[in-house]
Amino acid sequence: MEREPSKRALQIRSVISVLVIVVLWETAARAGLASPLFLPAFTAVMAEWWTVCADGSLPADLLTSLFRAFAGLFAATLIGVGLGIAMARSRLVHWIFDPVIALAFPSPKIAFLPIFILWFGIYSTSKILLVAFACVFPIVIGTYAAASAINRVWIWSAYSLGTSNLTLLFRIVLPAAWPRIFAALRVALPVSLITTFTAEMVGGGGGMGAALMYSQRFFESPTVFAYILTMLVVGLLLDAIMLRIQTAFPAWHSNA
Amino acid sequence: MRAVTDEKAIVPKIQIQAVSKSYPGDKNPVLALRTVDLSINEGEFVSIVGPSGCGKSTLLYVLGGFLEADGKVLVDGKAIQGPGTDRGVVFQEYALFPWLTVRNNILYGLERGALAPEERARIADRLIGVIGLKGFEDRYPRELSGGMKQRVAIARTLACDPAILLLDEPFGALDAQTREVMQDELLRIWLETRKTVLMITHDVNEAVYLSNRICVMSARPGQIVEEFKIDLDRTIPRERLFTSDAFNKTRNEVWISVRQQALAAEKLNARV
Amino acid sequence: MQGSDRFAAFRSPVGRMVPLVAMGLIWQAVSATKLIDPSFLPSPLRIGHAMVDLLTGREICDNLFVTLARAAIGLALGSAAGVWLGLMMARSPKFRAYAAPIVGGTYSLPKSALIPLFILWFGIGTATTVCAVFLSCLLPMVVNTFQGVASTPRVLVWGAQALGARPREMLWQVFLPHALPDILTGLRVALGFSFVLAISSEMIASTNGIGKLIFMYGENGAYDYMFAAIACVVVVAFVIDRLLLLLTQKCLRWHESATERGPA
Ligand SMILES: Nc1ncnc2c1ncn2[C@@H]1O[C@H](COP(=O)(O)OP(=O)(O)OP(=O)(O)O)[C@@H](O)[C@H]1O
Ligand SMILES: [Mg+2]
Repeated sequence: MEREPSKRALQIRSVISVLVIVVLWETAARAGLASPLFLPAFTAVMAEWWTVCADGSLPADLLTSLFRAFAGLFAATLIGVGLGIAMARSRLVHWIFDPVIALAFPSPKIAFLPIFILWFGIYSTSKILLVAFACVFPIVIGTYAAASAINRVWIWSAYSLGTSNLTLLFRIVLPAAWPRIFAALRVALPVSLITTFTAEMVGGGGGMGAALMYSQRFFESPTVFAYILTMLVVGLLLDAIMLRIQTAFPAWHSNA
Repeated sequence: MRAVTDEKAIVPKIQIQAVSKSYPGDKNPVLALRTVDLSINEGEFVSIVGPSGCGKSTLLYVLGGFLEADGKVLVDGKAIQGPGTDRGVVFQEYALFPWLTVRNNILYGLERGALAPEERARIADRLIGVIGLKGFEDRYPRELSGGMKQRVAIARTLACDPAILLLDEPFGALDAQTREVMQDELLRIWLETRKTVLMITHDVNEAVYLSNRICVMSARPGQIVEEFKIDLDRTIPRERLFTSDAFNKTRNEVWISVRQQALAAEKLNARV
Repeated sequence: MQGSDRFAAFRSPVGRMVPLVAMGLIWQAVSATKLIDPSFLPSPLRIGHAMVDLLTGREICDNLFVTLARAAIGLALGSAAGVWLGLMMARSPKFRAYAAPIVGGTYSLPKSALIPLFILWFGIGTATTVCAVFLSCLLPMVVNTFQGVASTPRVLVWGAQALGARPREMLWQVFLPHALPDILTGLRVALGFSFVLAISSEMIASTNGIGKLIFMYGENGAYDYMFAAIACVVVVAFVIDRLLLLLTQKCLRWHESATERGPA
């Protein structure tokens, strides 16, 4: 018997709630409720954001981090999708890799960071490989689940129509599994971001995370906030894009 | 004094007066019910038949107190205030709690009553026997077939012993044999307890076999377009009744009326 | 499932261990050839030695305990708050309207970005770690609880009402049981986050904990100990995840997908 408020009223409330936070933040900072070291004013943060954008340091850091995250994610996608499909199609491959994946999936990959630093240094190579390592497990598991859920009647009918194995992969398996693979990629994307940022914070070597830690060490609070807000917006934007792509899929994908 | 008791005797158990209900649609609202009037006396068994999507379930939800609608719904002369235990409901979708076993589903409503635990257990056991699910007491709904779930839903409602039964296609998912057994069981319970029953069904035979009165609803927006009073002897066995002329005559009348509404609904759909 | 018996032996618990053991043997063989500098890639035997050494000492147990305690506190607080928030959002459209932009905005924020902020506020140590874990666990719990509660079919609610359930009882008897599968899914995600955030924030800002320990071994060049400590983390995370999975299966015996939850 509950009445839903109209969509318009809901949107207004959403805007209000964001505004309230910003206003509270600004007044708390201006009234001196917290020292500017702990809580710089929102306007001060925006001014600082403009400065670091204008001098090119934030865009450069952002590009470095995004490059690492995407390169790692790309490598993880190639390996993960390939391995996932191979595991779904071959019992031997499944037998070999399943225990490793089961063991590694729940482990916090960031714990391996010192190994990657040891092997590949503190710059991009180690970060990209760590990101790939962190992202590959959700992608393998998602792809495996997707590829093994393909209606086997489709595969049989494709074979009976004389399809070769390779055509089968590109014409049947990948298209049929693609929506669920993409869902796994959507899970992996934030993992790639958080892994990049964290690895940069811990190990240095440039990028958003390193810059953030540097500002924190020198108590440049407005810079810290400006970087965090940028990460928040980047995370939001990327997820919105992924969601947009995901919902743009044709409706045939319900093949359960 | 006399006048008061007299009046009490003639106040119908359920009064539905000019009830309209529309759902918010994509563009404009969907009118599901338009000024429906229906009153049901105490102890009466009324069935509603009509084309799919005509608003039968909606009417039942309004009467159950789950949906708000324009117009008046009175039970015992008083406007209803939301859902209540006086009206037991069996939903088309069973609505069993998937996290409770068969026995606990049946016990769910009883646990709120004043009965002693042994008494509750006794009632539950008896009902499990009636619906033929002995041995399945500790299964979860996911382990049951559609028909078994529906039987549990019926038992769950009967356990609370409500004065009014609101049944939304209660035997819809049952196979033909179980359906007959359950119909006979419902008839037996009704003859014994004389509860007031409102049943929605698509099965004309079932409606004629069980009810005192059948209301035929029109295609959406639903309205009651025709009523049939059924005067059959409930004590004669099913085989004799089903082969009797009286039964078949009534059944054919109702069937033709329903069919007209269904055809009208189809035309309506074709136009859209 | 044709020809499944051929593979039955491989799928037994022992059969599943074979690839892991084989990989260990290959690794050992490669190390024995000395092609790779053993300080960069210690052999499994050396790591095993270090492991025994660590496990007999107090260092790893103490630090692991510290980390697990921080993760557990953050996870417990974050889950409790998350379930409550998700429930409120699902039950009150007004509350949802106000909370949705905040939840949506922070959901995709890489939570470790807040660690420097927490260092500013709370300094180095337990408070920072617990806060980071708390926030990272909060959001998956909010989102999953919300989904579970909001998707409760109306007939279940109505059914309970018609059987006399009072509004207060609906929460425990209908909404939370219905949301339980989603809440447990969220809990598994949150569990993973709690490890990641606890270890990350210890690496960045702590004087103890397993994250700090691993990092210290790395900086001191004690690579066999570093590998051994990481192996301990992997095993502990695996065991706790399995325990949660077992608990989930036990709690969800009634659920449609009782047998097909989570990766193999
Ligand atoms: N929540 C809702 N929102 C919008 N429209 C609805 C909603 N519920 C029902 N309707 C519409 O109202 C009409 C009546 O629905 P109702 O479920 O009452 O039909 P019914 O007679 O019970 O059909 P059936 O015999 O198939 O069970 C339908 O056309 C349906 O599309
Ligand atoms: Mg219906």
